[in-house]
Amino acid sequence: MLVIEDDDRIRTALLLALEDEGYEAAGAATAEDGLAAQRSQPADTVLIDLMLPGLDGFDCIRQLRRDDDVPIVVVSARTDTHDIVAALETGADDYLIKPVAIKELSARLRALRRRGRADSPSLPTMTFGDLQVRPLAGEATLRGEPVTLTRTEFRLLCELATHPGMVLSRQQLLERVWEYDFGDERLVDVHVGRLRQKIEDEPGAPRRLLTVRGLGYKLQR
Amino acid sequence: MRRPGLHVKVMATFAAGALAISSAVAVLSYDLTRSTLLASRQRSAIRTAYFDANVVQAGLSADDPDVIAVLRSLDTGATRRPVIFRGGQPYARNADAGITAAIPPALRAMVISGRPGIQRVRTTSGAAFVIGIPLDDGAEFYVVDSLAELEETLRTLSLVLTLVAAGTTAAGAGVGAYSSRRVLRPLSRVVAAARDIAAGDLDARLDPATEPDLEQLTGSFNHMVDQLAERIARDRRFAADVSHELRSPLQTLAAAASVLDRRRGTLDDRSALAASLITEEVERFQDLVTDLLELARSDQPAERKDIDVAEIARQVCRNRRLPTSLVTVAAGTPRCWPLDQRRFEQALGNLLDNATRYGGGPIAVSLAAEAGTGMINIDDDGPGVAPPLRAIIFDRFVRGTSANARGDGAGTGLGLALVAEHIAAHGGRVHVTDRPGGGARFHIEIPLANQ
Repeated sequence: MLVIEDDDRIRTALLLALEDEGYEAAGAATAEDGLAAQRSQPADTVLIDLMLPGLDGFDCIRQLRRDDDVPIVVVSARTDTHDIVAALETGADDYLIKPVAIKELSARLRALRRRGRADSPSLPTMTFGDLQVRPLAGEATLRGEPVTLTRTEFRLLCELATHPGMVLSRQQLLERVWEYDFGDERLVDVHVGRLRQKIEDEPGAPRRLLTVRGLGYKLQR
Repeated sequence: MRRPGLHVKVMATFAAGALAISSAVAVLSYDLTRSTLLASRQRSAIRTAYFDANVVQAGLSADDPDVIAVLRSLDTGATRRPVIFRGGQPYARNADAGITAAIPPALRAMVISGRPGIQRVRTTSGAAFVIGIPLDDGAEFYVVDSLAELEETLRTLSLVLTLVAAGTTAAGAGVGAYSSRRVLRPLSRVVAAARDIAAGDLDARLDPATEPDLEQLTGSFNHMVDQLAERIARDRRFAADVSHELRSPLQTLAAAASVLDRRRGTLDDRSALAASLITEEVERFQDLVTDLLELARSDQPAERKDIDVAEIARQVCRNRRLPTSLVTVAAGTPRCWPLDQRRFEQALGNLLDNATRYGGGPIAVSLAAEAGTGMINIDDDGPGVAPPLRAIIFDRFVRGTSANARGDGAGTGLGLALVAEHIAAHGGRVHVTDRPGGGARFHIEIPLANQ
């Protein structure tokens, strides 16, 4: 686990607490240090603050995402919808607002790790026209070409694919994908948007992943 | 007694002014007309009297004249009545019997002394001129010339003038009413703007271009609102900045406290107690900062979209480990309400937490809708809220005390204030009453028609 946080006291306390929770954690005070550390010794999860000296959190997330699908959790004092949506659109998997209780943080990280594993490997390949979802291989293909998805995006696609043509509410998706009892629905909306960018021909006029007004989302059979 | 308003005062002043001017004009014109008419009437009366006197003189100059016949020969019309004194003996026409009494003695004395005279008298049949002319041989000729016609004319004139004065007064009152309304119209715009501002619309301003005469008023009014809005914005910014600045150290505290908490077992009793106090207080501090920040931005408009209100209410219950059977929906209630889901969840959640903390636990969450208004009752099983507290429990940092309250004192004191803000952001209101059968009932009303 890599903690990118410029405030020494917060970083130190977070590292102490995360180690207590059983994680192996390393810290970085700047985005540049964090990126270098991730290249030389890739961590399995990245915790990142948005307000960083030099390269800011958004740029850092973008660069991390360019390299791989490492789960990224933002821990920030910023509460504006604008910042939350921007961070998620840039590629973060979850967004937590400071101060976050260690119990809560730990629960979020565990959920994120579980997302990495194929939840139900016995599931067969599911086909939606020219879109194929292969839970076993942990991949999806569009017209035979593999689609690059983060774990969260893939988990979200699997959840929708296992209920073909059925509407899943944002709350249900939050529970099943993020394991939130009670979470921020913007997580779902932004991730659906990201998924559409990758699986829709025209993300602005989706034909596969549809919004059902007032109810939720469904994957068209 | 209520003092008369500006409107009434302006109207009364205009009416009084109109009355004064119009009655002065009326009185003056009456007087002028009356004296002019009287003077010309007098001249004509004298002229005809001399004409008659000549006729009588001619008649009397005959030998042994018949005085009565002479009188009858006069063409006097209906208004003039002649009298002749001859040798101290009065002569009048039969029809004019008793007319001699109308001749004033002073006039007679003058005529007897050989000088003609005229006097205005009041007879039994109204005002009249009495004109006396001495004739030859010591005879006297008098004409009593009735002024009834003139008086009638003057009466009509005074009636007309009175009516005109009354009309002018009424017109004055009307002009007063109109102009005071005109003058007060910009003030009523001020009133409307002030009402908007009180209702929370801090963008309401007066347009200085519409009333150049009230430039100073609109200027200072707008300036006042600017200052007020700036002050409110500054307060909110301050609250937001404070809670934002508190977040970072709180994150350190939360993480460090959790490290301490994990090692409680290895600490001695006193340190363990201190560690658990720190952990609990850090949690409460977190809640407080979260609520403060929420409150600081609670003036933002609600982001309404259609949500399944009963399902959300059940979800809020589930998250608090409360049975979803608490939620009941009256027949005919629409399924989707236009609400800001996050804020509605928080408002309902805070009320349920409040019921758990102070009200012996919630026992019902009932949804209903009536005439475009969504209504939600949250009932609890506690002692209820005393009437004097009902108005203030929605204020900030007012905490309940109750025998049923849990001893953890974990409330932030902002929960109900946030409820009130969230509901107000939807254009609704919330208040607390007694639940039939005991306990408190928090009643929420939210207009369902999206503006």
